[in-house]
Amino acid sequence: MRQLLLLTSFLFITTACASTKPPNDKLTQVESTIQQAEQVGAENYAPLEIREARKKLAEARELSAKENYEKAKRTADRAMVDAELAQMKSLSEKAQKAVRQLRESIRVLQEEIQNNLDKTENRS
Amino acid sequence: MKNFQIKAFFIATIIIPLMAGCGGPPQNNPLLMEAERAYSQAESDSLIVMKAPVALKEAEEALEQSQQIWKEKGEKDLVEHYAYIAHQKTKIARETAQLNAAQDEVERAESERKEVLIEARKAEAIAAEQRAEKALTELQEEREEAEKARQKATELADRLSEMEARQSDRGMVLTLSDVLFDFDSATLNSGANKVVNEVSAFLKEFNDRTVQIEGFTDSIGSAAYNKDLSQRRADALKRALIETGIASNRITTIGYGEEFPVATNMNEAGRQQNRRVEIVISNENGVVSQRTE
Repeated sequence: MRQLLLLTSFLFITTACASTKPPNDKLTQVESTIQQAEQVGAENYAPLEIREARKKLAEARELSAKENYEKAKRTADRAMVDAELAQMKSLSEKAQKAVRQLRESIRVLQEEIQNNLDKTENRS
Repeated sequence: MKNFQIKAFFIATIIIPLMAGCGGPPQNNPLLMEAERAYSQAESDSLIVMKAPVALKEAEEALEQSQQIWKEKGEKDLVEHYAYIAHQKTKIARETAQLNAAQDEVERAESERKEVLIEARKAEAIAAEQRAEKALTELQEEREEAEKARQKATELADRLSEMEARQSDRGMVLTLSDVLFDFDSATLNSGANKVVNEVSAFLKEFNDRTVQIEGFTDSIGSAAYNKDLSQRRADALKRALIETGIASNRITTIGYGEEFPVATNMNEAGRQQNRRVEIVISNENGVVSQRTE
C-alpha cells in the first residue's frame, strides 16, 4: 500500500513537472524550422503548410502564456510537423523543377544537334 | 415490457462490447482513420519505402501511439494529436521520397547532359571535318578547271599562231592577203580552201568564239566601188565558212574599202599590204570589239 502510494505520487510529480514547465525549447525549435522552410521558398512552394505552421506556433505561444503548457507542447509538436512538411515539400518541388529544366535543356540540345547534322547532310 | 428492457440492457452492456471486442477496437475516429489510410498507401509505395524509410518509420510510430491511446479509450484530443502527426509525417515521407528521387534524377540527367554535349562536340567535329574536306575538294576542282582553262588558252594561242594571227588592241586578228581572190573578183580561189578549213576548225573547237570578217582594198578605183568589193569579199569568206558548218550568227562581215590602210598606197608593195581580209576573233564571251579609229 505504501509502495503504491509512493508510485502514484511519483507519477503525479513527473506528470506535473511535464505540464508546469513552459515548452520554450520546443517553441524555439519550431520557430527555427519555420525559418528554414521560408529560406527554401516555402512561401511559394508550400504556402498552406507554412501558414498552418505559423498559425499553430502562435497558438502554442498563447497557450504557453496562459500556462497551459501541456496543450502548448502538443500544438508546438503539430506546428513542427507542419513546418517540416513545408520545408520538405519546397525542397522536393524545387528539385523536381530542376529535373524538368534539365530534361528540357537536354531535349533542346539534342534537337540542336539533330538540326546541325541535318544541315551538314544537306550541305554535302 | 420489463422483459424487453432487461433484454435491451443486456444487449447494450454485454453484446455490443463483445462484438466490438471481436472486431478489434472500433476504428471510427475519422482523423485516425484518415491517417491510417494515408499511411497504408505510403507503406505500399515502393518509392517511399526505399527513399524515405526514416520518415515513414516516424509516421508509423505516431500512428501506433494514436491507435494505442484509442484502444485504451484515452483522451480524444491526444488520439487526434498523434493521428495528425502521423498524417503529416506520412506526407513528409512522400515529399522526402520525391526529393531523393528528383536528386537522383538530377544526377542522372547531368551525366546524360554531359554525354550529349560530348556527342555534340563529336558531331560538330565531324561536320567541321566534312566541311574542310568539301572545301578541299572544291579547291582541287577549281584548280583543275583553272588548269583546263589555261591549257585551252595555250591551245588557242598555239592555233592562232599557227594561223599566223597577231595580237592587236582588239584581240587576235588573222590577216589574209588578197591572193585568196583573183584580181577584181570576190570569188575565192582554190588557194583559199586551206585558210577556210583552218578558220572553220578553229571555230568548231572554240565554240564560244565569234569572228568578224573585215574586207579592205587599196586606193585604186572609186571609194564606193572599193567598199562594195571589200564587202563582197568578206561575205564570200563568210559563205565559205557557213558551208563548212559554222553557224551564220557567229560571223559578221564589214567592207571598209580603202579605209584603214596598213601601208602606203604610193607603191605596189604598200598597196599589196592594203588589199587584205582581216578576221577578228572575239573574246570568250563572243564579243568582237569594234574599230574606233
